[in-house]
Amino acid sequence: MGGGLSGLTAGIALAQAGKDVALVSAGQSMMHFMGGSLDLLGSDPSGNDVYKPLEAIATLNSKHPYTKIEDVSRLAGVAKQVLERVGLATTGDTTVNHWRITPIGGLMPTWLTVQGMATVADPDQMPWHSVTLVNIINFLDFPTKMIAAGLRDRGVQVDVKAVTLPELQVLRQSPTEMRSTNIAKVIERNDLIMKLADEINAQVGKGCDMVMLPSVLGIASGDKASQLLRLINVQAAYLDTLPPTLPGVRMQAMLRKHFTALGGTFITGDQVTGGVWEGDELKGVTTAKLEGDVLKAKHFVLATGSLASRGIVADYNHMYEPALGVDIDDLGLDRTTWAKLDVTEAQPYMEVGVATDAKLRCQRNGKTVANLYAAGSILSGHNSVKLLDGAGVDMLTALQVANNILNQ
Amino acid sequence: MTTQTQTQNVSVNNFEQCLKCSICTVYCPVSAVTPLYPGPKQAGPDGERYRLKSKDFFDEKALKMCLNCKRCEVACPNDVHIGDIIQAARIKYSTHRPSLRDMMLANTDLVGTMASPFAAIANPVLKLKPMKAVLHGVMGIDKHRTFPDYSSRKFESWFKKEAAPTQDQYSKHVSYFHGCYVNYNYPQLGKDFVKVMNAVGYGVHLLEKEKCCGVALIANGMPKQARRQGEVNMQSMRKAIGQGHVVLTTSSTCTFTMRDEYAHLLGIDNHDVRGSISLATRFLHQLIEKGEIKLAFSSDYHKRVAYHSACHMERMGWVSYSTRLLKMIPGIDFVMLESQCCGISGTYGFKKENYERSQAIGDSLFQSIKEAAPDCVATDCETCKWQIEMSTGVPVENPISIIAEALDVEKTVEINK
Repeated sequence: MGGGLSGLTAGIALAQAGKDVALVSAGQSMMHFMGGSLDLLGSDPSGNDVYKPLEAIATLNSKHPYTKIEDVSRLAGVAKQVLERVGLATTGDTTVNHWRITPIGGLMPTWLTVQGMATVADPDQMPWHSVTLVNIINFLDFPTKMIAAGLRDRGVQVDVKAVTLPELQVLRQSPTEMRSTNIAKVIERNDLIMKLADEINAQVGKGCDMVMLPSVLGIASGDKASQLLRLINVQAAYLDTLPPTLPGVRMQAMLRKHFTALGGTFITGDQVTGGVWEGDELKGVTTAKLEGDVLKAKHFVLATGSLASRGIVADYNHMYEPALGVDIDDLGLDRTTWAKLDVTEAQPYMEVGVATDAKLRCQRNGKTVANLYAAGSILSGHNSVKLLDGAGVDMLTALQVANNILNQ
Repeated sequence: MTTQTQTQNVSVNNFEQCLKCSICTVYCPVSAVTPLYPGPKQAGPDGERYRLKSKDFFDEKALKMCLNCKRCEVACPNDVHIGDIIQAARIKYSTHRPSLRDMMLANTDLVGTMASPFAAIANPVLKLKPMKAVLHGVMGIDKHRTFPDYSSRKFESWFKKEAAPTQDQYSKHVSYFHGCYVNYNYPQLGKDFVKVMNAVGYGVHLLEKEKCCGVALIANGMPKQARRQGEVNMQSMRKAIGQGHVVLTTSSTCTFTMRDEYAHLLGIDNHDVRGSISLATRFLHQLIEKGEIKLAFSSDYHKRVAYHSACHMERMGWVSYSTRLLKMIPGIDFVMLESQCCGISGTYGFKKENYERSQAIGDSLFQSIKEAAPDCVATDCETCKWQIEMSTGVPVENPISIIAEALDVEKTVEINK
């Protein structure tokens, strides 16, 4: 249940091991807001940047989902391999974080970054002297002024340029549709990569040692994106844009394609509406579109996401898990304790999620459900906005759940 | 009170649930090929905000470009019925009168009735270059298109003579909504359906009165006629359901239209019928799952089959019934194609103003079919069949026809006794 990073990772691991897996996805996932990097742990609970993630993970409190991972280092390696196998080569590993550049020009510690994206090994020593930041004219999801300001603050000289092609100017007729993904479709369909490279090269002045481009290429695979980089006369790399973010869209497409190629069944645009229970065991689930039909299985994985994906729902009186009604670690009935008025503070509601035992199994009416596991951001006990651990929790808990199922 | 405010504050088509996340624009096949279309978010929930204030904000020309493929709805993480919002606006605000061409394209059953008796003449004539030039120039039907052949013998005529007399010998029964395509163009699919159903012990019956489901009428701005025809279909189906039959189809689009568009767009009350309308592949899959029937396949059947998820099949969420059924055939080398629109969208691609757009939309699908090099493509939609066959040269079959071809009838009859 759930077609995002966590559900697809678990699905791939289980299908790879020869299981017959069906995956139910209610609309597209939060991966459409994900850039080209995956975070494992970027910040400690006090807000300090994490340099060595494994060391910092060892100090996390006992509620954090990582405490239910048997070997974080090993599974992190497996996660990297899964991405590589679907065609997403990444840089980075668990020994030391590197830094990604955010769409508004900040630097954040991260674990893995898809090849072709600009990264920084040490935030105190920027690797470039003179950067040329090249946008597509009229593309609004790439705030060049903010990015340039962020880089200049760190002592980098920045030239901001913009290029276009007639085909891209036509796209501008519908300003709301001039998004990273549609730009990619236009460039790829019309084979404009050489022309675009010429335009970009014409903007690069003497002394420039890095060209940065918005991530607007490579919707189905990374091939076209790499091709453009190779055609630029100096070193070049992509930066994340505002959503929909292309690297995440691509990652989701490639993971899904790999899952179906392994024989998995991807049921899209549908959602789980309830469970068929026999005592404390889950026998099957019903969905909105399959109507009376029950999806029966030996094991179930709940990876429907957190509040943003409606994996957890809040109404005026309480928070709950809507698909199967399993127990959650909530904050009680006093609504005033759910949130802090200062939005920049750590929000308590962010840590609300389903309750699980040490094997990541869900609970219902206080009792463990032996064949129902939870993975990803639906788990309680962590704040991915503050800890920068979202993708790591998604992938590692998914792989751990797959292991727990396969080892039974 | 507070809970009521929250739970009852739901607008038509989940309009107010739109978070403006723009995920739908990533999956719109039209905005990907033309900037003239404002995209699903803008044409749908965003535009609706303005249209609610004044009908002057209704942009007929832009909204007409929507294929009604519903891929935006499938992609939406918040279950906003974006496609419904767009189509409902067209029905509500359009003052445009359909042209003769649009009326002809939309009245699939009327044109079929006229053409069938003259099939021997009509089929070759419609393929002649001068005829295509006339259709292109005078009517606005694109010259690249070839009308699907009309059958000289309608499915209904075949059924009454060849199949109907033996159907009462079965102990279990279903009703069949064959649709215009099976009746006028491709009776073979209907024959395949009867063959499969009979083999697993079900007698097949036609509805007392069947009208075109109306999908093309909705698309071409004729909702009133669509509503009238829909009411006739619902009447006939109520009778069939009263006799204990489920109503099966072999077309994903007819099924989707009668189950969902009738209520959402035409205001037809179908709540008592909807649950009994199903797709043949879904019905068979359900019976197999329940252990009520078994299929036996001949051992010398071998084919590489690539499955294409038709848009309305995807919207119904029923793709897995057809694919899992096909995967049960031991001789099939199964390839799942990336789910995307083929670009035809019923009558849309037949219009000369849409032809180029239609082909651009389907282009990457055609490429991936050529790369997969299958013996045939399987899909549950007849108009996808025309588009894919014309654009790739690869034959396209309904899953029911593939099952009928692979089925060991004698053995199947034997094990279902």
